[in-house]
Amino acid sequence: MLEVRNGGFETTVQDYPGRIGMLSLGFAPAGPIDDYAFRFANVLVGNPPGAAGLEITAGGLVVAFHDERAFAVCGADMDARLNGQRIELWRSYRARPGDLLEFDYLQGSGFRTYLAVSGGIEVPPVLGSRATYLPGSVGGLEGRKLQAGDRLPLGEPSIDLGRVIDRRVQAHLVPGYPGYNEVWEVEATRGPQADPDYMTREDMDAFFSHHWKLDAASNRTGYRLDIYNWQWARTSGGAGGGHPSNIIDNGYPVGAVNVCGDQPIILCVDGPTLGGFICNAVVAKAAMWKLGQMVPGWSYIHFKEVSLEEAIDLLARQDATISEENLERS
Amino acid sequence: MTEHTAAQPSGVILATFPEHNGRPGVVYRNAGDSFLLVEFGEMVFDLTMSFRVLGLDDAIKRHQPEGLIEVIPALRSVLINYDSRALPTKRLIEFVQAQYEELPPFHDLVVPSRIVELPIAFDDKWTREAIARYVQYQRADAPNIINGTNSEYAARYNGLRDKEEFFEYIMATDWWNAALGFFPGLPFAYPLDPRRAVVIPKYNPTRHWTPAGTIGIAGPCLAIYPVESAGGYQIFAHTVPIYDPQQRNPAFRESPVLLRPGDRLRFRPRVTDEELETMIQAVYDGTYQYVIDETATFDVGEYLRFLDSVREEAEAFRRHQAEAAARVPIP
Repeated sequence: MLEVRNGGFETTVQDYPGRIGMLSLGFAPAGPIDDYAFRFANVLVGNPPGAAGLEITAGGLVVAFHDERAFAVCGADMDARLNGQRIELWRSYRARPGDLLEFDYLQGSGFRTYLAVSGGIEVPPVLGSRATYLPGSVGGLEGRKLQAGDRLPLGEPSIDLGRVIDRRVQAHLVPGYPGYNEVWEVEATRGPQADPDYMTREDMDAFFSHHWKLDAASNRTGYRLDIYNWQWARTSGGAGGGHPSNIIDNGYPVGAVNVCGDQPIILCVDGPTLGGFICNAVVAKAAMWKLGQMVPGWSYIHFKEVSLEEAIDLLARQDATISEENLERS
Repeated sequence: MTEHTAAQPSGVILATFPEHNGRPGVVYRNAGDSFLLVEFGEMVFDLTMSFRVLGLDDAIKRHQPEGLIEVIPALRSVLINYDSRALPTKRLIEFVQAQYEELPPFHDLVVPSRIVELPIAFDDKWTREAIARYVQYQRADAPNIINGTNSEYAARYNGLRDKEEFFEYIMATDWWNAALGFFPGLPFAYPLDPRRAVVIPKYNPTRHWTPAGTIGIAGPCLAIYPVESAGGYQIFAHTVPIYDPQQRNPAFRESPVLLRPGDRLRFRPRVTDEELETMIQAVYDGTYQYVIDETATFDVGEYLRFLDSVREEAEAFRRHQAEAAARVPIP
């Protein structure tokens, strides 16, 4: 059992790939935004890569261990300390009953960090997943973020503790995060409603060259970018509505860039599943993790266009990277 | 398979199949490495397209090829979530197109379609509260708010006598739920009787707060808000919960979502705020009985004959509506 002494700013139980196959009922998949760090944290402690762990946004989480476990923290630096002793990121440790793991707030770049514990967090799955989906109040612990006093049940570890502690992710696989005011390069394909029928070629050229400022009002639902003066290939949305960004409602891909009026919004893992605005691009699934580490109100995004084949290839390579073979003894 | 045109240079359109023997054309659009968007016919409001879409949804589900995660139907499209490594995009397109071309002739389609009856309270206290907050904190001079309601505006915009006649229209037609989405369990429902097909423009700016259970309309589409949320639809009524993550009523035993695509919604009986409040409490006690005809089917041929029989009346209403709308300010 893991005892929450302080829930911090926003800490939720997540699993990967989340609650998939329910978009048609209006459920976004939820799950960790930075699934790269999340899955590596699980692999470090000997869990399946998708096992339930914690997504810690901005920091402030304090947990006490009640049994002996392996744990790992991957993602943004929040000056995590085990019994006051600073620990390294992207590395597995042993925790003993009574040990206290404390996270401060962000120390530099990045925005979220992930805690995996051997055996995984064993809250009851809801609709096939343990991922917390805040807008629908389902999954995780009572469908909400964690708070002081919560007690999280843990599963039975499948691998002997001695074999999974003191391991680290190979240094070249630990991503460096751009600083607060810097630009993230995010791979994306053109979306279902791009040029030539909805936007002009010039609009799409601008989309893939502009440095988009990430709005402070960005969260797991959507990442809002700055308003842009699009040319549009149509003068109105026809039967979809008066504005050329309007269409007759259709399903939204997770990671789509949804242009609402003149504002592009990246639909994130808790985002709306269906609606009546165009999607001019879709973030490559293998690049979605970057959103989790951007800092709302500070980061910039440059979308790098990739083909459908390249996006699929990136995903295959990412999945292959997140494996035991890429760990080393520390 | 019918002839198709190859991908465009921008790579957005992956394949196009033209209209063939009265079967609407199909366009396959790139939607990233895990999704494919399939559109049918033209970008026009045609409710009958939904019957084809749900027929296709059903056919795809019955085959469930390896690598297919889910089909997300909407009014004139399906979005497909798939594992592009297990199921190459090209093979998925061929599979969907083959299913589409094998659909029975349109007139012969009989699709499963439950009838769900929902009690309704018009211009209830929850709706009035949401509108009052909008006036106080967001926009005091919104033309779509008259006497603290949107219903008076809706009546004027559609050329109806008064808000009572607007309420009669809402209750006089069944509403076809073409899709669920945006939030968990939120229906996108369209009027099946074109003589009662009201239309209303959206809020501007959108509302920051709408209570769960609120009923609204924008354009021709009716929605029920499943959770407390922002919203852009004109709101005029309240009903019992359609989403319960705690699954406290037998109707939610299998899923926290009450409605399904292809359901017909029927608003009855008309109740007072107090009666509705009692019903909502009974939902959470587990004692409220939702009225759902589980075995009903929808005969597309019969519906098309009905549309033919009311064509003139429907046209007359549309003309009357357009004249009225031209005299009313847009929000």
